[in-house]
Order: sequence, then structure tokens, then C-alpha cells
Amino acid sequence: MIKYIVRQALSWLVRIFFAVNLTYFVASGFLNPASNYAGRFPPVQPAQIQQILKPYNLSTDDPLLLRWWRWLTGIILHWNWGYSPTGDFVNGQIGYRAGISAQLMLIATILAFAIGIALGLYQASHQYKVGDRIWQVVSIIGLNTSIIVVALVVVFAAIQLNQAMGFRVFYVTGAASPGISGFLPVLADKVQHLILPTICLIFITFPSYAMLQRSLLLDNISADYVRTARAKGLRLPVAIRRHALRTSMIPVMVSLAFSIPGIFTGAVLTESIFAWNGMGNYLVSTIGNNDINGATAVAAFAALMTAIGAVLSDIFVVWLDPRVRVS
Amino acid sequence: MSDITVTPASTNQDAPVTTVASSRHHSRMGLYRRRFARNIPADVGLGIFVLLVLAALFGGRLTHWSYTDIDFLALTTPPSADHWFGTDRTGLDVYAMTMHGLGRSMIIAVTVSLLTLIIASFLGALAAYLGHASEKIILGIVNFLLVCPIFLLEALVAAKTGGNWIWLIAVLTVFGWMGMCRVIWQLSTSIRERDFISAARYMGIGGPVVVFRHMIPNIGSLMVVEFTLGIVGTVMSETGLSFLGFGIKVPDVSLGSLLTSGQTMLYTAPWAFFFPAGALLLLTVSVALIGDGLRDALDPNSAAGGRA
Repeated sequence: MIKYIVRQALSWLVRIFFAVNLTYFVASGFLNPASNYAGRFPPVQPAQIQQILKPYNLSTDDPLLLRWWRWLTGIILHWNWGYSPTGDFVNGQIGYRAGISAQLMLIATILAFAIGIALGLYQASHQYKVGDRIWQVVSIIGLNTSIIVVALVVVFAAIQLNQAMGFRVFYVTGAASPGISGFLPVLADKVQHLILPTICLIFITFPSYAMLQRSLLLDNISADYVRTARAKGLRLPVAIRRHALRTSMIPVMVSLAFSIPGIFTGAVLTESIFAWNGMGNYLVSTIGNNDINGATAVAAFAALMTAIGAVLSDIFVVWLDPRVRVS
Repeated sequence: MSDITVTPASTNQDAPVTTVASSRHHSRMGLYRRRFARNIPADVGLGIFVLLVLAALFGGRLTHWSYTDIDFLALTTPPSADHWFGTDRTGLDVYAMTMHGLGRSMIIAVTVSLLTLIIASFLGALAAYLGHASEKIILGIVNFLLVCPIFLLEALVAAKTGGNWIWLIAVLTVFGWMGMCRVIWQLSTSIRERDFISAARYMGIGGPVVVFRHMIPNIGSLMVVEFTLGIVGTVMSETGLSFLGFGIKVPDVSLGSLLTSGQTMLYTAPWAFFFPAGALLLLTVSVALIGDGLRDALDPNSAAGGRA
């Protein structure tokens, strides 16, 4: 079992490696660091620009493959993710931001997953009742609404609420307030900042889990083994929870891995709307600043998040599915 | 037994009153249409979508403002008789911009969804047909691309192609076909073992012909569903890119770029946000409802089937 998990994790490492390298080449092809110095006054000569870029491993005087090799060995040997065209160290930028974004994405994913499973269970055991219908409508709207619309409506509502209450219940910008100390005040401040973006991400993420869980559970409730469990004297809710839920959760777990890139996209847009200084905002600024190394580091972060989600879902599948444990 | 059996032909004589008898003679298309029409949410979705298409095509002509006209006498004015959806802070007419942006987002979404469907169905069906190593290679590429940060790559490429919507279509197509390809491959694997495929193979018909003439038509109904749901996904990607400033750029307008300017005026001019946001919401939800309705109407195993 541990061997299985390790093997999965290793294959994810290989995929991350290729994904990051692909991004490096795409970024090198489309971003032009020299253009950052183009509009300067007094004008900088093209040769001079290349001289400035040379120490950052961004000069086009060096062939692309040489730059790629330096970049790759820099990361593997020294954990050096390179420099921006203006000389900012990428490691310094991502160290702080990665934590903020990872926190937002992981909390939202785990909560959305738990809510989705619970709602799917509720809807399947109350099929076609009023509660099921209402949640189906909510799910369809949540699944098909752009995160931009959700987040901006939430911001608008929060501002209205803050004005109505006369003090700040929720913050709509930033990840934390400066100059707060003490455990409880910091925690409260964090919650006040985190709650709105998390709600937005959950709202667009939970419906896919809930809908999948509901339809799988409906298939399994009528299966023979559930009827057997009922015949042996288990009440229906217990039979569903102990027998049908377990089998029908496996495909939902598998779908978790493939939903992380979508959550990353959602997090980029959410961070941009709530003005968080996370990886999403960094992505927008790196592309604007022609920062090849920075954009690639964001790709590495996104791929790592996908891998973590996938390995987590693998661990749950092993726990749920006896067939995996045997082979 | 035989004396109480009524032949279809004789029932058909007085068919106009009996719906049961008339339903026996539906063509396949007629059957699909009836099953779709019975699904109320799908009908609502179709109604809204038709209205949105009409609005995108002709809505802009109902007002004398164009989406690039600046009214210096009306900056940040609320909805009025002259400016139906109000104006933003530069004096642009929100109604004209919303109608134009709606059309822009729609044409991008439909084109991209169509192109990705073509790529995805060809590669997906080909992988299923070829099997063995080729299938593994195609699926390996698809699975690898599915875990890549696609949005980041799209943003990278789209940002440097200058806000032209034709380029945006190309970018979204190149990075958008993988999910659909997996679905089509899954559907095709269930067909490849069928006798008519083996028959075609033993008659010496080449791979591409088998894929196009025999496999794709048999999963056609489900591809229609995939196409519809692809529209929703593309609208989301396009508005996301445009919102961050990587997609459609001024002077052109899409629903995504309208939301960007709406965000900056959320409190001073809420109408500049709520009208484009409403249009976007109606567009994605109506298309999704149509997709679900089509799935129920076309899928022989669906719960809605059985009773024509």
C-alpha cells in the first residue's frame, strides 16, 4: 500500500517536471524580457539591455537550450528559481505568496469536497423531495456561474453589510491586516479576510462533487449488496452510510485530482478580485513584466498543488477501495 | 388475442385525437424533439439562449449609441431612457457594450467549442480505434496536458497576441481539447468492440475512414452534448482571461473585459457591473440547461427515456 502511494507520488513528480519545463519553453517563446527596458529614458541600447539581462540568465545572446540548462541546474542543485528582468529574486517572491495561495486553495478544496459529499448523500436519500430540488438548482447555478460574478457579488454584498452594521465585519481586500499581534486577534483577523474568498471558491467547486456523488449513490442504493444489508436488518440510512456511500465515494475522490487546475484558475481570479498578494496576483504581474522565471515558478506551484490533490485522493482511494490494497 | 389487436394503420385513420397512436410514427428527430420539449428547464434554457442570440445580433441596433461612442454629457449616469443600462465613468453606453460583448463572447465560445470538438473527436476516436501503443501515447499526452496549468499557458500566449479575438480563439482551441478528448475516447472504446467495426476492418477500410464514417456517427448524439457543455467552459475561460486583461482588449469589448471595468465602479456605478454580469450568468446557465436537456433527450439510458 505504501509502495503504491510512493509509486503514484513519483509518477506525479515526473509529470510536474515535464509540465514545468513545457512552461519554461512556452514562456521563453512568448515573453520578451528586453521589452521591459524598451521605453526607458534615456534610451538603452539593445546590446546594453542584453548586458543587463545576462546575469539574470535572460539574455537572448545565449541560445535557449543553454539558458534552459542553467535554469534547470540552478533549481536542482541550488534551489534557485532565477531572477526577474529587473533583478528580483524569484525565491523571495514565491516563498511568501505560495503559503497564502496554498492555504486558500487547500481550505476551499477540502471544505468543498466535504460539503459536496454530504449534500450528495442528503440529496440521494431524499430524491425528488423539495430539499433535493432546491440543491439541484443551487448546484446548477454554482457550477455554471463564473467565479468573477460570484466574487464581485459577494464583495458588493459584504460592503453593504459592513455599511449596514457600521463596522468592518468582513474585509474585501488583502489577506491580513498589518500591525496585529496576539494569537486571538490574529486568528480573528485571518478569518475575517479568508472567509469571503473561500466561500466564493467553495460555491463554484462543491456542485460538481455533489452532483457526481448524488448520481453514483442513486445507482448504488438499488444495488444487491445494499438490499442484502437491509435484509439483514440495517435501517436504510445506516445501510447507505456504511455500504453504498463507501463504494460511490471512490470515483468522486478520483475526480478531485482533475479538479485542482480549475480551482487554481478560480484562485487566480479570486485573488485578483480580493487583492490578495498570492500566486494568482504574482502570475498576472509576471506576465505583465515579461518575467519568464517567475511565470514558470507559478506553473511549478500549480502543478505541485495538482500533485498534492492527486496524492491525497490516491491515499483516500487506497483507504476506501480494498481492491487497490490487494494488488 | 388477435381480435383485440388494432393495427397501427387502422389506428392512424383517427389519429388526430389519440396522442398514443400518433407517437408511434415519430422519426428519430421527432422523438428527440419531444423528449427535449418535455424537459421544462431545458425549454427555459433554450428560450433564454434564443433571446440572448437575438439580443447579440440585433440588440445593438435598437439604440443609437455604439459600443465605442463616448457621451461626455453623461458620465456615470444610472439607467435612463437615453442610456438603457446607464453609462460608465468614461461615458460609454453600458447597453451597447453589453450587447456587443455578449456577441463577442458567444462567437468565441461557439467557434472554440466546435474546433475543440473536431480535434477531440478525431484524436479520441483514433486512440480508441488504434489501441495498443498509439492509444497509450495519445492518452499519455492528454493526461499530461490535463494536469498542466492550462490557464497559465493560455494567459501567457494570449497576453502576447494583442487582444485580437481571432487569436484568442486559436489559443483557447489549442489548450482546450483535452478534457473532451478523454470523454470521446471513453465513449469510443465501448463502440470499437462492436461487430460493424470489425466488419469494416476486415473489409480493408482504412483507419481514418472507419473513425469518420463508423465510429464518430455512433457517438454523435453524445458529442452534441459535449459541444454544448464545451461552450460553457469556453465562456468561463474567455471571460477569465479577458477579466485579467489577457484576452479581449480595448477598443474591443467582451463580457469579461466589461466585468473588469465594472469591478472598478462596483459602488459608484453598480449598473456597469450588474448588467454584464447578468448577461454572463444567463448565457452560461441557459447553455448548461440546454446541454442537460440534450443529454436526457439523446441518451438511450437516461431516466427521461422510455416514454416518447
